[in-house]
Amino acid sequence: MEYTNPTKVDESIYDDDIVRMFFGATVLWGVVGMLVGVVIALQLAWWPANLGLPWTTFGRLRPLHTNAVIFAFAGNICFAGIYYSMQRLLKTRMWSDKLSRIHFWGWQAIIVAAAITLPLGLTQSKEYAELIWPIDVVIAVVWVVFAVNFFGTLATRRVKHIYVAIWFYISFVITIAVLHIVNSLAIPATLFRSYPLYSGMTDALVQWWYGHNAVGFFLTTPFLGLMYYFLPRAAERPVYSYRLSIVHFWALVFLYIWTGPHHLLYSGLPDWAQTLGVVFSVMLLAPSWGGMLNGLLTLRGAWHRVRTDPVLKFFVVAVSFYGMSTFEGPMMAIRAVNGLAHFTNWVIGHVHSGALGWVGMMTFGTLYWLVPKLWKRELAYPNMATTHFWLATIGIVLYTVSMWAAGLMEGLMWRAVDDRGLLANPAFMDIVDRLDPFYGLRLLGGLLYLIGAVLMAWNLIKTIAASRAEVRTPSAAPAVP
Amino acid sequence: MRQKADRDRILGHENEADGIQEYDNPLPDWWLGLFWITIIWGVAYLVHYHFIAHRSPEAALAQELAAAELRWAATQASETEAEFVLSAEAVAEGESIFQTYCVACHGANMLGGIGPNLLDDEWIHGGTSEDIVRIITDGVPEKGMVPWGPVLGSDQVNRVAAYVISRNAEALGRDPAEALRPPEGS
Repeated sequence: MEYTNPTKVDESIYDDDIVRMFFGATVLWGVVGMLVGVVIALQLAWWPANLGLPWTTFGRLRPLHTNAVIFAFAGNICFAGIYYSMQRLLKTRMWSDKLSRIHFWGWQAIIVAAAITLPLGLTQSKEYAELIWPIDVVIAVVWVVFAVNFFGTLATRRVKHIYVAIWFYISFVITIAVLHIVNSLAIPATLFRSYPLYSGMTDALVQWWYGHNAVGFFLTTPFLGLMYYFLPRAAERPVYSYRLSIVHFWALVFLYIWTGPHHLLYSGLPDWAQTLGVVFSVMLLAPSWGGMLNGLLTLRGAWHRVRTDPVLKFFVVAVSFYGMSTFEGPMMAIRAVNGLAHFTNWVIGHVHSGALGWVGMMTFGTLYWLVPKLWKRELAYPNMATTHFWLATIGIVLYTVSMWAAGLMEGLMWRAVDDRGLLANPAFMDIVDRLDPFYGLRLLGGLLYLIGAVLMAWNLIKTIAASRAEVRTPSAAPAVP
Repeated sequence: MRQKADRDRILGHENEADGIQEYDNPLPDWWLGLFWITIIWGVAYLVHYHFIAHRSPEAALAQELAAAELRWAATQASETEAEFVLSAEAVAEGESIFQTYCVACHGANMLGGIGPNLLDDEWIHGGTSEDIVRIITDGVPEKGMVPWGPVLGSDQVNRVAAYVISRNAEALGRDPAEALRPPEGS
């Protein structure tokens, strides 16, 4: 293969329209997904919010929330970031504009189908893989379209060296395809119903092999890729260590794929498989922290800018929460800790320190950094971005701290015995009642986070609108900064 | 491994990375140390758990049960001796137990819900005081009623049984003491 590697590339060869489309979808689905999250948080704190209708009960809205924030909000920003950065890193336009569009509209159609079927109660009952088989088939097709376009672009690149962000993107594209297809294998019975190919414990193991690696390869590796591109670009500093990026990348992708069984500790899964889940989860600590280190140490010499630049503020908190939740994860995978934490709200707190902290803050930082690049217009209200940052940060702290406290309390109350050796809290309802204040605090935290996201949406819309107005009236005087 | 020349040396790939420069700094010692520690711990834990200590969830449960047996042996012995008495005091205490644990299924008015009506003349699983104590203690797992013996202890089971018997008799206009005698001719 011949690489021309031009030193200067005219930016107009890149397809930025597709980036703008995924950008808009991220903002839209982000607000929708977080709103549903706040609604179900309200339902837990105040049950009449279930409205007494089957379509609006917690059981149906909860998967809608998780699917919307993971596959719609996080998914769309990954695609926006990948389409923006890979063209520039590889100095070439996407291989096929048509495939890019099929990918975009196909993905949005999947999201709409999810938003219709889940409230109707149509589900496969597998966590994070609830969508019924016809939608699963479409996901597989759209993903393959994305993969063909992705590898086509990689093959026609005009540079030899493949930058670290692209390695992480590759692991995302390949692994998600494998995970989704293997976990969704099922025999269709009717249009809406199917029977999984696996049964019993095998099904559970395949499901959590999928479930945990959805966290690993949908919410971690593509976001590390985004971090490796957008953080050094925003900080205008060199990446701390190429060597560290190689070691932590290979260690991370090798170890992650084994960790699923830690969701099945103290279950019927053979004990040796449970042990593998524990051991691989603990070994994952350092490789995860390698990413955090490379992010934070890249900021050497740019820390004074963190004080003023909202984009860097978001990135710093994102990377810090990544480090914190990847410390918490291995600890929770240890048998003794898991015995206390499993099935409690601690798990919800853990997931959200990763989701709100790492994924959410990375996304916000990336959106704020991208908007002036994509629409050639500075952010309409820079101070509002800082307000968003503080609302989100306080929201995350309220959320995680209240859920940790609730989870510890539940775990300890469930196992407490009195001096006669009987359960100290035999009525489950008594324990549920005690969760009220924590659920209230969590609702407040989620609400602050949502308000921040709405402010961001407003800010971005005003910026884009101003840019469009400028395009329409080219004779107008240049904007006063 | 930490050489001065290695520090903050630019790799020189920036023309192939959209202008992003990369240092090739060595791995932080503490980070590498942490990685090795987790790997060594992982191997050691696996070998110890399965091949040296021969641990398993079953063994852990047996151990826990044996420890509980030892620790609460005295309580268990005295628990089994608690006797059923139909007194005004037992009925009063039974009411508060009923309100806490039983209303969810049998209803605050005892007319049933998820579980059957307790105020009619029909006892699906036997109507003597022994039957009622036994049903509360062991539950009816096949119909979804959990065993309350381990939760409440025999003393409280007796009291809530006394409450149920007295309320049932009251509803049917009988003398509660009648209910204690096995029904004749059936």
